[in-house]
Amino acid sequence: MEQLVTQVQGLSGSADDLGQLLVLLRQNDDAMRSQGARLQPALHALDPAKHSLGFLFILDGRWSAGPSREEAENFLMSVTNFITVCSPEQIRYCPDKFNSLCRKLREHAMNMHRPIRAVLPLQVAIRKFQPSSEYLTPIHADFLLVCLLSKCYKAAAPILEDQIFEIDPKKTGLVPKDYLLYCYYGGMVQIGLKNFLRAMELLQHAFTAPAHVMNAIAVEAYKKYVLVCLIHNGQVPPFPKYTPSIVQRNLKGCCQGYIELVTVYNNRNITDLQRCLTSHEEAFRNDKNLGLAKQVVASLYKRNIQRLTQTYLTLSLQDIAQTVQLESAKDAELHVLQMIQDGEIFATINQKDGMVRFQEDSEQYKTREMSQRLHSEIQKVIRLAKKLTAVDEQVSCDQAFLSKVGRERTRYDSDDFELVPQKAFSNF
Amino acid sequence: MASSSGAGTMSSSSGLTFKLHPLVIVNISDHYTRLMAQAAATGSAGIPPPLRVFGCVIGVQAGRNVEIFNSFELKHDAATDSLDRPFLETKQEQYKKVFPKYDVLGWYSIGADIRESDMVIHKALMDINESPVYLLLNPAINPARKELPLSIYESELHVIDGVPSLIFVKASYTIETVEAERISVDHVAHIKPSDGSSAATQLAAHLTGMHSAIKMLHSRIKVLHHLLAAIQKGDAPPEHALLRQVSSLVRRLPAIDSPKFQDDFLMEYNDTLLMTYLATITKCSNTMNEFVEKFTTAYDKQSRRGGRTVFV
Repeated sequence: MEQLVTQVQGLSGSADDLGQLLVLLRQNDDAMRSQGARLQPALHALDPAKHSLGFLFILDGRWSAGPSREEAENFLMSVTNFITVCSPEQIRYCPDKFNSLCRKLREHAMNMHRPIRAVLPLQVAIRKFQPSSEYLTPIHADFLLVCLLSKCYKAAAPILEDQIFEIDPKKTGLVPKDYLLYCYYGGMVQIGLKNFLRAMELLQHAFTAPAHVMNAIAVEAYKKYVLVCLIHNGQVPPFPKYTPSIVQRNLKGCCQGYIELVTVYNNRNITDLQRCLTSHEEAFRNDKNLGLAKQVVASLYKRNIQRLTQTYLTLSLQDIAQTVQLESAKDAELHVLQMIQDGEIFATINQKDGMVRFQEDSEQYKTREMSQRLHSEIQKVIRLAKKLTAVDEQVSCDQAFLSKVGRERTRYDSDDFELVPQKAFSNF
Repeated sequence: MASSSGAGTMSSSSGLTFKLHPLVIVNISDHYTRLMAQAAATGSAGIPPPLRVFGCVIGVQAGRNVEIFNSFELKHDAATDSLDRPFLETKQEQYKKVFPKYDVLGWYSIGADIRESDMVIHKALMDINESPVYLLLNPAINPARKELPLSIYESELHVIDGVPSLIFVKASYTIETVEAERISVDHVAHIKPSDGSSAATQLAAHLTGMHSAIKMLHSRIKVLHHLLAAIQKGDAPPEHALLRQVSSLVRRLPAIDSPKFQDDFLMEYNDTLLMTYLATITKCSNTMNEFVEKFTTAYDKQSRRGGRTVFV
């Protein structure tokens, strides 16, 4: 054991040494797993900041049996400490070990019913592990799960703000399930933060991911997606073009109650909606979507008031209450006031005679702040367009695409037969 | 004999300053291009023979200054290799009626170098103007050369081998223009008749011109800014004349400054920005659409065969 420790200390210098060290450690992996608690002194001898790679392996070996209840505290402390001080370059040499360590951390935090303890370490772990902020890692899924369980939505916000462009299984050890979980949990966190638009985007990613078979995560994501769409937009858009065909065919069959809710919502009748809700209450409760469903009902009031702005210029509070099927003029006033504050409608309430006057969007687009905002938006879109053209070129040169296109071409134009290069350079 | 008609390796010593207006250059090149196009169209298969066009330049000679304003075409008789005199005289009279101040100052032709026959024509013109000038335009397009392919030659009496003879000597010239002429010549020069008539290419050409103009403005302002920063730091000695000029330049803009102007200006500016934003989003969506098409054809197993998808 001592010789391993000295080797770790010696070889934790440059990149070639680390490669050598990695090979060595992998060879001794099984041996370390069997040793278990006896590795503790070795851990004390090593410095996690300088010898991160070796420390990681030994730590994994130490706790491979799974810590018992008494030792759970120790486990959490040591792993938290390691994550805080480890060096990013070294841990990137061995993604799967690091991922499994983080997963264990998450599981044990959940078992101890204190998920909040894992929030900060996992956030630090993500930042250290990502080669750049555009990479997705499996730790994202774990982190979002603990944030959800501990209700620390704000902590998850900066991680969700990152735009993910790179998926590289070699560097991060990512599997498709992690991606789907990231989208699903991310959507739920955004619902918690009340960013319904972002939640819609993430949930849509979950069920439009390329797939050959149906996926439970996709189905759950779709159910939430339907509810969030109703709250935010009032209607559910049809499937986008890139939804895999198997999903398109089978998804609606899996969520009957939700589809019914959508059709009833379109009738804009509050009582019908309530009835539909109570009839499917069991199903909603099982999917844990009952809260969302109730929010859907609340949003129908808003939707109806918004429709009134398109018909009337001024309206009395009493009339609003009647049209929208609210209880009284007081309720209507509260609703309208809330909507004005949220920026959903533009109106002024005249309290003397109980009239509401609807107005146009007062944005004149003649301020410097607006031009600066437009500038930054244009820059963002230009950057995105560049990335898109790069990916587009990649796919154009892809083997699978060229073979399919070549086959179709030879079928139809046999006169001007162009040789499609079969051995295009593939990037995978 | 070769030396007497050789191209002027000597430069002019007459001390005359020549000023050339761009209209003349446009006229000459237009004349040549037109005739070349006609010759090619009337069916001489293969390479059309190199044409020489001839014409007359007119302008004002005031003391030592020779300013060439305009030009017109002349008929050339290839057989006798001389210019058509009556035609020249009629044209000259007509031009005199319109521009009384302009005199015939010389003649022009096309070619890479002077020929022997040019001296003959030159001498023939000497009875109108005692010392005519000869403009020679080289139609060969050479993108490497930065200067105009136009040269002005004067005739001088030199004693060569004991025989006094006239030879051509090259003279230097400057381009001179008035504002109205500059605008019109610029406009004419930018019209591409054959393929640039669609709105898109014209817009692109217009925007490219504007882009290069703004780039040049930007680089010049940067130089000035750099200089001013150096003066402030003390690296360069302050020149008051220069500073006065810079200050007057800075005070020229903004031309109007009132709250209403700010509002309107920002509104228009934001409108243009919104259009640009819309254009970039459209371009992005287009790329995205193509990408998604390619991806689904490549990877979706039950993808379109013959263009039909299965709907739920």
